[in-house]
Amino acid sequence: MATRKAGGYRNLTGYAFISPFLIGFFGLTVIPVAMTLYLSFTDYNMLRPPEWIGLEHYERMFTKDEKFWHSLRVTFFYTFTAVPLRLIVALAIAMLVAKIVRGAGFYRTVLYLPSIIGGSVAVAVMWRQLFGLEGAINTILKWLGLSGVSWLGDPKYAIWTLILLYGWQFGSSMLIFLAGLKNIPNDYYEAASVDGAGSVTMFFRITLPLLTPVILFNVVIQLINGFLAFTPAYVIFGDGRPLGATLMYVLYLFQNAFTFFDMGYASGMAWVLLVIVGLLTALIFKSSEYWVHYESKGDR
Amino acid sequence: MKRRRMFTVLLALMLALAAVLSACGGKSDNGGTNAANSNTAGRSENGGGSNAGSGSEGSGGGDAPKPVTLKVLWWGGQTRHDNTLKIIELYQQQNPHVTIEPEFTGFDGYWEKLSAMVAGNNTPDVLQMNFGEYLTQYAKNDVLADLNPFVESGIIDTSKLDAGIMESGVVDGKLLGIPLGMNALTVIYDPELIKQAGAQEPALGWTWDDFKAIARTVHQNLGIYGSPTLEANNILEYYARQNDQKFFSDDGTGVGFDDQIFIDYFNMQVELIKEGVMPSLDVMQQHSALEDQLIVHGKAPFDVRWSNQVVALAKAANRPLKLTVLPGPNTEKGLFLKPAMFFSVAKDSKNAEEAAKFINFFVNSLEVEEIQKGERGVPINAEIREAISKQLDEVQKNMFDYIDLAAANSSPIDTNYPVGSAEVLNLLGTDIEDRILFAEMSPEDGAAKFREQTADILARKR
Repeated sequence: MATRKAGGYRNLTGYAFISPFLIGFFGLTVIPVAMTLYLSFTDYNMLRPPEWIGLEHYERMFTKDEKFWHSLRVTFFYTFTAVPLRLIVALAIAMLVAKIVRGAGFYRTVLYLPSIIGGSVAVAVMWRQLFGLEGAINTILKWLGLSGVSWLGDPKYAIWTLILLYGWQFGSSMLIFLAGLKNIPNDYYEAASVDGAGSVTMFFRITLPLLTPVILFNVVIQLINGFLAFTPAYVIFGDGRPLGATLMYVLYLFQNAFTFFDMGYASGMAWVLLVIVGLLTALIFKSSEYWVHYESKGDR
Repeated sequence: MKRRRMFTVLLALMLALAAVLSACGGKSDNGGTNAANSNTAGRSENGGGSNAGSGSEGSGGGDAPKPVTLKVLWWGGQTRHDNTLKIIELYQQQNPHVTIEPEFTGFDGYWEKLSAMVAGNNTPDVLQMNFGEYLTQYAKNDVLADLNPFVESGIIDTSKLDAGIMESGVVDGKLLGIPLGMNALTVIYDPELIKQAGAQEPALGWTWDDFKAIARTVHQNLGIYGSPTLEANNILEYYARQNDQKFFSDDGTGVGFDDQIFIDYFNMQVELIKEGVMPSLDVMQQHSALEDQLIVHGKAPFDVRWSNQVVALAKAANRPLKLTVLPGPNTEKGLFLKPAMFFSVAKDSKNAEEAAKFINFFVNSLEVEEIQKGERGVPINAEIREAISKQLDEVQKNMFDYIDLAAANSSPIDTNYPVGSAEVLNLLGTDIEDRILFAEMSPEDGAAKFREQTADILARKR
């Protein structure tokens, strides 16, 4: 009896010590997320209490709401171009930085800077200036004798400015790649070069396979980030213009919530997004058996 | 042993508590003051009565008023932010017991911010409200306080305020907002550019045909645009009214005008864009900020917008611009005076009375208008309008004169904005209008689509 009680106390102590996390996790994550599930079945405009309407929101979303499908297409396109772009740039830069011996810390810091100021409004505002009709990009194009392009106004190009912005903020992925590169023993390269392998062969035969666990991690994290993209689209284009070309999923969700006062519908959209991202992540993990190489398991 | 463990648990809990408290430390301060205030304001004994009628003097009264914190929220550009902060400072000097926490943003983002605040039970005591879809929405959801009691008790003195425009703040018999200024749609033009092109300056009695002719002449002779594209969210309503129709149907279930009106309205622009007289929409989208309009850069002689935006526009353009009415025929049917914006009080404000006093100060003090000089629209207080017009610079004087002209050539505003009109205007302004002007959709298809989707939205939101 006494020991059981003491054990109870011991657990209590443990819980008490992690309570800051628990309070945050339940108060700010689990409960609100569960609430949105409930709200997605209600008509709720935030100014009045929610009213139960069952599956109506989901029905409209899947059968009637063209904008929902449109925003989904825009977001898929964005994610599946911007994420590979960012990862390729990050890997390329990481390989360059790994070679630098003198002042490596300086380069690492400078290259990481865009990510620190990453999702911030200031960067988006700067982007607007850069790609404006008389902005830096068009000025440079004119020097080169090319005609300027309406980057932000033309539906064909608008989304690309966002993709470029995402690609430019490669810092955190770069650091992770850098760590991964440092973990590859130099012996492998030495042995390979003795055998007469060129640098391209070494990259595809040594570097890439040994980096796959890091790539997996980066792909998953960045994919989730990509689907959640909001700030740049909101600050640079605001309402999905031109012609809905920049109507990202989360932006449309946000419009439903705060412009159309339809919090219930927005909650439903959030859950659809959660399911999509969850499925994709599961798919990637499932596929990882076929392309991720863990050294401990030996060669496949 | 047992005791020691108890002690560890307590220690851990205290640590956790400390962490939580420090995390919201900034706020807990406020919470404290507000809670204290609620006691004071709930019982309206702090000299409210003795202030009645001339609240602008503030403090007055016998017993020293207890400290109050008011949160005031508005949207605007930099000029308005600067002005309003000065006005708030002045009010705090005159009413040392009042501390005002200002919050402000541009119009974009304002409604998101406000609805999030309302949802969080954090509605500002005094908030800027807009006529039309927004007032309807907030009225239907019972967010705003009825200000009639404060008018009756004399805290808000309406004796000198324009009665006609005051009506626009009334919903279902409740006074939910005090207009801060009057506005009307106006055509802003650059007389110098029009003269250079050898065209006639527009004047009362001109028509859309005249508008097109001037725009074409300027485009051909000066090689600049003849006009920017027009914003359907504002101009289409005028266009419908010109033709004896309304934007929304009276029963609030759909579009209130014929398809032909919609088609004519857009055909004019499609035609002008094809000719190069109006820029294509991608150019327009690069000039979305007020300070960045074509007319500011001397790239077009015209701009069409609300009269209170003229001050900021002229400041950015830094050369004389003139104002006239929108093109006819039937200008007087189409044109209307609109409250530029309201100040409303949150229904759950714990300091509603102090909030009302602040609003009274805002609309009934010459000093306020001396600071903002019509930037929130032409004052609705006749005495102030009179007094201030002597202190105005040319741009501001033009605006005041224009309101007089518009008042004489307009009809009452339509107040039948249904709930859900925000979504309808978003549909028109960012979707259908863009598709038509980008030539992805014909005006005919646009009209049909707009009618159908508007009915859908309004049915859903009823």
